[in-house]
Amino acid sequence: MKFDKIIHEPARLRIMMILTGIEQADFNFLLTTLSLTRGNLSRHIEKLETAGYLKVIKSFNGRLPNTSYQIIKTGSNALTKYWENLDKLRKSGQAK
Amino acid sequence: MHKQQNNKPQNAENLKEIPKWARKYAQNRTLTIMVLVAMIMPFSMFVAGLVGFSLSLAVAGFRKGNMILGCVGIAVLVAVLTAISIFIIIVLKKFGGKNRGMLDQLIDKWTYGKEGTATLPVQKSSKKKICLEIVGAVIFFICIFGSWHLALKGYISYKYLQPVSVLYMVPYAVCGWYFFKSPRMGPIYLVYPILYTIHAILILAGVPLFFTTENFCIFSICLPMIGYGFLPFVIGHLYSRHALKKLKEISHIEGGTANEV
Repeated sequence: MKFDKIIHEPARLRIMMILTGIEQADFNFLLTTLSLTRGNLSRHIEKLETAGYLKVIKSFNGRLPNTSYQIIKTGSNALTKYWENLDKLRKSGQAK
Repeated sequence: MHKQQNNKPQNAENLKEIPKWARKYAQNRTLTIMVLVAMIMPFSMFVAGLVGFSLSLAVAGFRKGNMILGCVGIAVLVAVLTAISIFIIIVLKKFGGKNRGMLDQLIDKWTYGKEGTATLPVQKSSKKKICLEIVGAVIFFICIFGSWHLALKGYISYKYLQPVSVLYMVPYAVCGWYFFKSPRMGPIYLVYPILYTIHAILILAGVPLFFTTENFCIFSICLPMIGYGFLPFVIGHLYSRHALKKLKEISHIEGGTANEV
């Protein structure tokens, strides 16, 4: 059983889980909720974006630039698959 | 080691709750609506007062045969309506069309700016939907002013003005919530029609929760409407605090893993 290494990382898994529940969240929201550093969060998001799991939406709040993130179909499919695999692993572990 | 293994499944189950708490948080960021309503309400009252004053001035003038007073009343009314129209045009120009929702965003940034933004999908608005909203609002106001008029004419007792209003108020609130679901109005909003109905039941049971004078009888409807209308938003805001706390608790990453990129 193979685990998606992109999602398996705790911070990225949490980012994906937050974005699953809502339509989109901005950088600040993820930053305050996950208590990560700016650089750290940026790197995690970059990895998720490169994997094609989320979409970056750039806009302006008045004059200030605002970056939001939205999970896309590939991302939610990968996340579902990840949980299925994890549940299977847990069940097989319990059976043993 | 053994303890760590036992914690893993529990942790996984907790993580599965992240989307639920994120959704609940986003759905209950109601402080924005409260601020918006608090801004609109005094303005509406001020406009209603101006229109009412000028209209009564004109009616009184013409009734007494005082043409000057009547004409002054009409002139004031026209001036007030023109000023309101200009104001609405300016507001629509700044916050309408492409900028629709900008005012909401500005207030949201002011109220929840520190927490960042989390949004739920917004239902696409169509012309048909906007027309339905307008027709619904017009019918609603006809019902309010109609029942008030009937009370003034003596067809409805002042005591029963609020219980009668339940007949249109509750279906309007429930249908409005169901058909025009706003991303910021969760099921907590239904507290509003429930409390409004309880208020009516209390009046019918003999509790004096109404105004008995001609001038103030409309407040028997308005006060519970405004008061109970605010309550779901207050509850919603408090619930969003709880949801955010829960979300932070679940999604908090221990120092070691947080820096793992």
